[in-house]
Amino acid sequence: MIYKPSADHRLLLNALINPASLVEYNTLKWELLLRLARKVKLLARLATELKNRGLLDQIPLRAANLLQSSLVQAKRLQQSTHWELNRISWALKDTDIPIITLKGVAYSLAGLPESIGRVYVDLDIMVPKERLSDVETILIQKGWMNHHKLSTYDDHYYRAWTHEIPPLVHPERETEVDIHHTISPPTSRLKINAKPLFEAAVTARNRGYKILCPADMVLHCAVNLFENNELADDLRDLLDIHDLLLFFSRNEQDFWKKLKERANELNLSRPLFYGLYFSRLIFRTPIPENLENDLDERPNAIARWFMRYLVPHALFPLHPDKHSRQALVARSLLYMRSHWIRMPVRLLIPHLAYKTCLSIFPGKAATSQMMK
Amino acid sequence: MGPFNVQIGMTCTTLAEHLYSLYVNYEMAGCDLAEFHVQIAPARRLKKPFDPYARFLLDGRSLFPPFPAEQALAALEWGVNLAIAARINHLLLFHCAVVERNDHVVLFPAWPGSGKTTLCTALVHHGYRLFSDEFGLMDPHRGIFFPIPRLMPLKNESIHVIRDYLPEVRLGPEIRNTHKGTITHVPPPKESIVRSSETAKANWIVFPKWVSGASLRLDPLPGSEAFLLLASNSFNYEVLGETSFQAVAQLIKSCRCYKLTYSDFDEAIAAMNALTDDI
Repeated sequence: MIYKPSADHRLLLNALINPASLVEYNTLKWELLLRLARKVKLLARLATELKNRGLLDQIPLRAANLLQSSLVQAKRLQQSTHWELNRISWALKDTDIPIITLKGVAYSLAGLPESIGRVYVDLDIMVPKERLSDVETILIQKGWMNHHKLSTYDDHYYRAWTHEIPPLVHPERETEVDIHHTISPPTSRLKINAKPLFEAAVTARNRGYKILCPADMVLHCAVNLFENNELADDLRDLLDIHDLLLFFSRNEQDFWKKLKERANELNLSRPLFYGLYFSRLIFRTPIPENLENDLDERPNAIARWFMRYLVPHALFPLHPDKHSRQALVARSLLYMRSHWIRMPVRLLIPHLAYKTCLSIFPGKAATSQMMK
Repeated sequence: MGPFNVQIGMTCTTLAEHLYSLYVNYEMAGCDLAEFHVQIAPARRLKKPFDPYARFLLDGRSLFPPFPAEQALAALEWGVNLAIAARINHLLLFHCAVVERNDHVVLFPAWPGSGKTTLCTALVHHGYRLFSDEFGLMDPHRGIFFPIPRLMPLKNESIHVIRDYLPEVRLGPEIRNTHKGTITHVPPPKESIVRSSETAKANWIVFPKWVSGASLRLDPLPGSEAFLLLASNSFNYEVLGETSFQAVAQLIKSCRCYKLTYSDFDEAIAAMNALTDDI
């Protein structure tokens, strides 16, 4: 199926797929592109692509300055998250607890070239569920604290219904540490056994830190995007899938075969299907043509048709000045979908009722203050 | 405004009138690229549904809680500062007032009790060119400063001080009960706006302090102390990492650093004139 993006989506997509063509953009196009790219956290990505090609001085100066700014910030965030990982492994060095680094920091540890321009704010790690409370106790003894002052409800929400504990932060550094015990909420329709993920984990080159094996890294990315998130403005995450697929298929033997077998083995073939499908549809990733046919669980034709229509509307940023009604509808439908697949109805309805109540009577939320 | 173009959207006519009169000397950016897209939009609050409130939006996102609509001008100016501080990292952003005389700039870093805006207002009405009362924008590699002349917000007692000292200066409307008390804006002199593309290097760093009844003192300050005070008064020193360390070290080496204590503007201006005449 051919995908026909709208004019402003095309502006952003073309910039990502064919960065060299950016030298032809006029100031008007640049202005819109910068706003769109910022919304989906891809400014530093564009900056890196242009810098690598030596083209930063061939675009309007104001655009180059904003791109340069985003690159400086991305570098700083990378430095902070890597240093936080260093501190976490120092704090836990006397234990035998396996720690696996996830997401942005892991992509950089894996050597993904595009990770240079990727913005990652938090450090995400995974430890075995039975060691979770040990990790939390040790880190709190060594100075980390709860990042937000949580209400009893929110604390319970994290611990009972999500796959992580409330985020920690060291007050001297302020980098958020998200500690997971698996890759999808226990309430979700996916029943994931985290044990094989730990068993297959590999050691990152030269650094000694553990990361997921290549196939699992792609699967985690797909699960996170299509099962855990609401997809709104998540184009960057789909681009991660595209980058990882390209990188591993070039550098790993039999990568495609391993990927599909692993997806079937871990019951993650459905999110992988969507990952492959949309990566190919939007970024034209060169994925072997019949790969999806070997996946055990594929969405049926109706689900596929709906997702095919809705997902691009959500992934791409809204036009900053005129929001398309179609996109807003698509986003609300996917928002509902994300809750639907993450929580059974008996949990979902009381949860949404509680949150709605809080938004109407914010005074009651004094203890669950999430924003300043 | 200086190196940046700002697109401002609003529906409120009072704010538009204020901007029209206070921004009269600025040039329209035309079809050039705008770095910042901000908006003052009406807001309703559940607790007080009939009081007019407004929100400040940067690219459609609210950066701070809604405020009473009559404070829109102060919120707009403050919001643009916040936007610059949050997004600009290709320049090193010092929190200081910057004025130019004899082709070189003086930095007045913000430190408690400095009253940098008040001193800055007095100086720019006595022959100094305004770069900024808030931001020292420095290219960290070339050591040059960019002017960004914007409205200067006077707070509380400073308003009376400037009214008494510079009765001829036109002030904006008085905005009461903001989180910083009462605020009035002074528009930059026209010449500062017209020449806002002319950059300059720094030659002096002066830490000012207004002390009631004090006699004038201008004491040299050791470079090491100036370094720490300047670096800790920067918005993005840590973000730029090694680049900013090198840049501040170089800046301190090329500048003379002083501590200024004063109570009388005439004396302070005379001292600054003597200092800036000696290049």
